[in-house]
Amino acid sequence: MNAVLLNSLVAAPFVVALLVMLVGRRDQGSGVGLGVVGSLAVLGWSVAAVLEDRSVDEVWIASMDVHWHLVLDGISAPMILLTTLVTFCCQVALVRHAPDCGGRADLAALLLLIESGVIGAFLAADMVLFFLFFEVALIPMWFVINAWGDPHDPAGRRYAANRFLVFTVLGSALMIVGFVLVRFESGTFDITQVSGASATAAALVGIGLAVKTPLWPVHIWLPDAHAKAPTVGSVILAALLLKLGTYGFIRFWLPLVDPDSAILPVFAALATVGIVYGALACLAQTELKRLIAYSSVGHMGFVVLAVASYTTIGVQAAIYASVAHGLITGLLFFAAGAIKDRYGTGDLHELKALYGAVPRLAGVLAFASVASLGLPGLAGFWGEMLAIRAALFPHEALPQETFVVLSVIAAFGVILTSAYFLRMMRITLQGPTLSEPKADLHALEWLAWSPLLILTVLLGVAPGLLLKPVADAMAGVLR
Amino acid sequence: MKVQDIDWLAVAPPLVLAGAAIVVLLLDAFFGPARTRNQAHLPAVLTVAALIGSAVTAGAMWDDAARSTFCIERPLEGPLGCSFVVDRFTLVFWAITLFGTAVVALLGTVAIADGRTPQGEWNFLLLSSATGALVIAASRDLVTLIVALEVVSLPAFAMAGLRHGDRRAAEASLKFFLVSVISTAVMLMGLSLVYGATGTVFFDQLNATLAVVDDTRTVAVAGALLTVVGLAFKVAAVPFHMWVPDTYVGAPVAVAAYLSVVSKAAGFVGLMLVLTYALPTFADEWSPVIAVLAALTMTVGNVLALRQTHAVRLLAWSSVAQAGYILVPFGAVSGSSVGREVLGASIGYLGIYAVINLGAFAVAALVGTRHHAQQLEDYRGLVRGEPGAGWALAFALVALAGLPPGVVGLVAKVVVLDVAAGPATWLAVVMAVNVAIGLVYYARWLMVLFTPADDGQASRYDVPNAVAVAIGVTLTAGLTFSIFPGWIVDNAITVLG
Repeated sequence: MNAVLLNSLVAAPFVVALLVMLVGRRDQGSGVGLGVVGSLAVLGWSVAAVLEDRSVDEVWIASMDVHWHLVLDGISAPMILLTTLVTFCCQVALVRHAPDCGGRADLAALLLLIESGVIGAFLAADMVLFFLFFEVALIPMWFVINAWGDPHDPAGRRYAANRFLVFTVLGSALMIVGFVLVRFESGTFDITQVSGASATAAALVGIGLAVKTPLWPVHIWLPDAHAKAPTVGSVILAALLLKLGTYGFIRFWLPLVDPDSAILPVFAALATVGIVYGALACLAQTELKRLIAYSSVGHMGFVVLAVASYTTIGVQAAIYASVAHGLITGLLFFAAGAIKDRYGTGDLHELKALYGAVPRLAGVLAFASVASLGLPGLAGFWGEMLAIRAALFPHEALPQETFVVLSVIAAFGVILTSAYFLRMMRITLQGPTLSEPKADLHALEWLAWSPLLILTVLLGVAPGLLLKPVADAMAGVLR
Repeated sequence: MKVQDIDWLAVAPPLVLAGAAIVVLLLDAFFGPARTRNQAHLPAVLTVAALIGSAVTAGAMWDDAARSTFCIERPLEGPLGCSFVVDRFTLVFWAITLFGTAVVALLGTVAIADGRTPQGEWNFLLLSSATGALVIAASRDLVTLIVALEVVSLPAFAMAGLRHGDRRAAEASLKFFLVSVISTAVMLMGLSLVYGATGTVFFDQLNATLAVVDDTRTVAVAGALLTVVGLAFKVAAVPFHMWVPDTYVGAPVAVAAYLSVVSKAAGFVGLMLVLTYALPTFADEWSPVIAVLAALTMTVGNVLALRQTHAVRLLAWSSVAQAGYILVPFGAVSGSSVGREVLGASIGYLGIYAVINLGAFAVAALVGTRHHAQQLEDYRGLVRGEPGAGWALAFALVALAGLPPGVVGLVAKVVVLDVAAGPATWLAVVMAVNVAIGLVYYARWLMVLFTPADDGQASRYDVPNAVAVAIGVTLTAGLTFSIFPGWIVDNAITVLG
């Protein structure tokens, strides 16, 4: 029964995607409707699966010792729930929002395919299996950007899609080289049985995950991909695909690294550079979606900094910040997409006093912005706070002074983050001259966004919901 | 002197093909050109039947221990010399060859419509060449090996140029012929040096002799390197690849498919036999050389494929790059720690590559019936217009790129990386970078398939039955192996254990 529950959690979105594609051939609208129902069922299924710790372990390729090994524990459960929830929200969003180029049901089906791969990656405990699911999401996402991206700029969206694809595949190819090197050294692909690996292997896996996360300086594919992707594509990319990188760091990188080696401080330093760089880049942005994309670079910097502290609290912070980023940035991209739909532009200087023009939409954008800059009481606060605390008190084998300096710089990054979000809100939301008033939030938009809004508040006031299960699952990840 | 005993079951698979070749040729000679469309299909039907018969006899040996025949007693002490051995290694290559040839035979029928390719001769040549490909996998001495390799190549020249009144095909054939003759000459030179240094042509005895000789070692090493160069032409490794794009583009698509799968597999068999059966003692000498060749081959193939707009030329460069991946495990062999069993990864990759590459060529053959120019733009909207072929090509392309849902291609890449990481980590990293480069052109083609045609309706095809079968078989095999990669990988990578 365990096996059926877990395997079908991976397979269900895939099957729904095929059905949506078939039904969509006849009628796009009912295809999307099926997508909503299907993704709701998957959401319910994932809740049922999470209520207990479960695992499946079958031999898949005997001669290479590759196992179909899925594990659902306190680290993967929050990510799974985030995945199924955000996918459901995106399906609902598609009901009202029809892309100009048509093919709404195909878009819904591709998002479900991505969900299938992301769930698989979050469940996998075998390195080859993780790599496989990691790759499943790529081709669909590439199609999403390439075919449904920015309608005003076909060449640009093709370029962005290809850059996304090549960067990610390069990263994951280096990652699999690292994985097979681990198997060469320790004789197994099963991450739960691996304890330690050579510096080369850890570096290769780390670089591969850094591309996906993305870590400075390999983040350069991200802003373009976000700016050109359709709204739901941006949401999925930010809320789910980036999390494959951070989750990979926790599950598949920490067991490989040796806390005595230089690799943790190097990644911590890159993450800190990313925090400051992301914030400074945001201050210079004039386009809403690019600004949110660069803010992701900063937030992911906090996650990696926390992971690199090699402590339980660091991993808690990383999971917390990942989930919070998924909820809040998803909301930000939804709001930015809604504004772009209404005004046809995301240029900060062309949007004026939205508080007056579309008050509810502007309110959601303001809410998501203050959540993202880490206002206490909302979800964004705990991740950043815990990350800085973890970096202040890292594992004893790590260079303490270095980490203290890094955490001080990261704290400075928090201030910069507040600065650029407040700048953005001042330019677009407030001011004397009013943009033309448009239709405010639609009921379906409320429906699609409300789970994210509610959870942002809930996790902000009750962080224990997420911190305890992670701590319970930590045995075996750190040495 | 006693008459040699021949193990007839062991030699049955190539004999069946050779017999069928003669039957096909005689039928054509006695009954003349086909009068109806159904009659024109007869040679292809006979060919496929012969291939199935051959496969059945080969399958009967799957569970047996290795069978040896054509053996001679050695006057002095030393291992028994056998020219023809059927073991798991042989049988796995036979499976690849028979499958590949059957698909090519089916694809060959697209030429019936234009009536410029005599079907009798074409199938005769195909069966002859396939006979050579079977023999080479069983050969265990240098003379049998080189004769079998020539039996593979000679009919292939004619196949490339068989279409009447096609000057490009003739040119392709000539270019292919010249390069092949040169490579054979180089290889013969190398083999004669090896023979001169050791006094034997049997692989086992060569290995035993080379392990002890000291004074003629230099000559033997030189001979080994020349042999590697000769075989590198056959597998189209850089810098011996220049003939590939022009030949593939000039020849009919079915011949390009044959060259890229069966003929290439024969080259790899030769390389494996010579290097790992005869020259394992020199592994420390040839392994780094091949590692460099592999790195060059995949890089050049992928980079040059980037700018191609001609579908078959793109597949040609991609097959050069794929040959580079297949060579990677050769670069991970070393004389001391890692033995020849790592080459099982090459066999696994080759088997998977055969299935998915034939799938791509099968669709290219179909599109070629309407668009002789084979431009990538001609594939626009194929998924809408001709869903069966469109999805099959899409699957083949993502599998060649090594991405899901082409899981089988991804597993193939992991299999190769798995043996390379560790002994030759740098080569594994080069391969990883190449996988990313390769993705660009596969993705470009993939996008064209899904882009709706300008006028709203894509070309529709009158799909010949044989081509539909070829597409269906390769797609089914690819999908099955994607779900159960162990079925192909487990059998392939343990045969050299």
